Amino acid sequence: MIRHLFKLIWNRKKSNFLLITEIFFCFLVLFGVLSFIVYNVRNYSRPLGFQHENVWLLTMRPNTDSTAQNRVQLEQVLQRVRAFPEVEHASLTSSNAPFSFSQMRNHMSYGNVKDVEADEYEVQDDFKAVMQLQVSQGRWFGSQDDASRFEPIVINSVMQKQLFGETNPLGKRLPKNDSVSYEVVGVVDHYRGYSEYAAEEPAFFTRINLQKNKNDFRNELLIRVKPGTGISFEEKMVRQLSGIAKSWTIEVSTLEKMRQNKAKLTLIPMLALGLICGFLIFNVALGLFGVLWYNISRRNSEIGLRRALGAASIQIYRQFIGEVLVLATFGLLLGVLFAVQFPLLQVFQVESEVYLIALIGAVVLIYLLTTICALYPSRQAAAIQPATALHEE
Amino acid sequence: MITLSNIEKVYQTKTIETVALQHVNLTVPKGEFLSVMGPSGCGKSTLLNIMGLLDVPSKGIVEINGQPIKSYKDKELAHLRNEKIGFVFQSYHLVNDLSVLDNVELPLLYRKGVSGTERSRRAKIALEKVGLSARTRHYPNQLSGGQRQRVAIARALIGQPEIILADEPTGNLDSVMGEEVMHILLNLNRQDGTTIVMVTHDENMALKTERLVRFFDGQQVSDAKIHEFQKV
Repeated sequence: MIRHLFKLIWNRKKSNFLLITEIFFCFLVLFGVLSFIVYNVRNYSRPLGFQHENVWLLTMRPNTDSTAQNRVQLEQVLQRVRAFPEVEHASLTSSNAPFSFSQMRNHMSYGNVKDVEADEYEVQDDFKAVMQLQVSQGRWFGSQDDASRFEPIVINSVMQKQLFGETNPLGKRLPKNDSVSYEVVGVVDHYRGYSEYAAEEPAFFTRINLQKNKNDFRNELLIRVKPGTGISFEEKMVRQLSGIAKSWTIEVSTLEKMRQNKAKLTLIPMLALGLICGFLIFNVALGLFGVLWYNISRRNSEIGLRRALGAASIQIYRQFIGEVLVLATFGLLLGVLFAVQFPLLQVFQVESEVYLIALIGAVVLIYLLTTICALYPSRQAAAIQPATALHEE
Repeated sequence: MITLSNIEKVYQTKTIETVALQHVNLTVPKGEFLSVMGPSGCGKSTLLNIMGLLDVPSKGIVEINGQPIKSYKDKELAHLRNEKIGFVFQSYHLVNDLSVLDNVELPLLYRKGVSGTERSRRAKIALEKVGLSARTRHYPNQLSGGQRQRVAIARALIGQPEIILADEPTGNLDSVMGEEVMHILLNLNRQDGTTIVMVTHDENMALKTERLVRFFDGQQVSDAKIHEFQKV
């Protein structure tokens, strides 16, 4: 029967062309949207590599250009923040704090592996405690690095894989510039600071050493507060810090709030795309339903004939469902042929599994959609009285 | 053998009740070629539909080979139609998107255990019987009316049914082609012993069969063997 259905649809390819095209485009849209959703959901389900709860970001904006004065005040602010009993740990950071909208990227090379693009995070020794990072190999920064000839870095496992493959990265040196080299002192399993929905990119941490660099100034401070610390402490802290750095503007935000803001950047387009896709699918479904119903009403005499030749009503029902599935298969074959190029050509540098999951999901959804659309018209076809149908020409 | 006992068929709408058949008692013995005549709307096609298990009578009993079919379910009726009955229609009822061979194969598609190769083999034999073995790859719209009706006959006989029900098989054909089709039906009846019930408006065609039953206003008004009829 399957062969018969394929033959029937193939012989009617001209009249079915538009329907097949509609299914093809519907598949492509679904594949695109599903790829986007699968990509984001997969990233979301992966570990961030840090704990953002109870972490605040203190942003300080001095109003004077005097580096020396600002630096003095920064050290006073740091001292005061660390002295609060509510504060567990605090670390200065470069402007690309977790869930912020800024990024710092560098090209790293080692041996034959050239130009691995990696996110650079400049942090203090306390950063590990503030963000509760898990160091899987080697160690985090410490006072032993003060006298080091090389600039210590801690890398994430993605960077380790890309630069060093399976070899031990500890102690390996990477050129920073002509005179200075980085030395890998540790590896953290994961670090995805940009967004929960972003893929993990190669990343490395460099050490902020205020004692060594007397002119260094950072205006972002990450603070881990004790659980349950609330807004009253925030007000108290800002008031006291404003007393130390009188001309500075000081703002506090929680990483949780920043996470939510960042998530909206992905969730809103995902929702919008999902809605557009849903609307499109609804329209396609209506179209399919109408066309199928019309086709079946045009084929009344054929239905009567098949009944006369020995088809039970359930066989007519199955035949029409089968025909729609075959139609969908023709549209899907074209679509899959196109979609499979994405994992093969590594389009957008997205993992192949994302495309494969989206492809399978889109195929299943299209089959489901076409089957649902065919259920009622097929039931109508099966209910046609053969004697009546045979008299319709 | 088909037996109709006290058959009545009434079509009912909200406002109108139309009696299509009443008090029909008819037995068609195995191997007989029976023709049914009567003016348009007298119930001939309804009779054929009831005989072919495509419609159910409002009253009365239909028996095929002595088995009453009243209690049969849709699946069993379909099975019986597929195994025992072949249909030939005035307007051929061929599927235009299928080749001649595929059209002829159709009844075997609904028969369990018949492979594709077997279907094709038997379709070719059936087409040979009606003289169309050179047209297997053609499509219905590439054939003349007579050829189309021969394809329909091949389709009716591929399942080797005991009964062929033909509803005005020569109605759309000119006299030469009508003769050709009639010749095939007569051969099927005489050589293979197939029971044939043919509805026709053409008295000449009816006279070639063994028995003629006439209908008027849903009632059977005469039933005579052809040789008796010719005497009259």
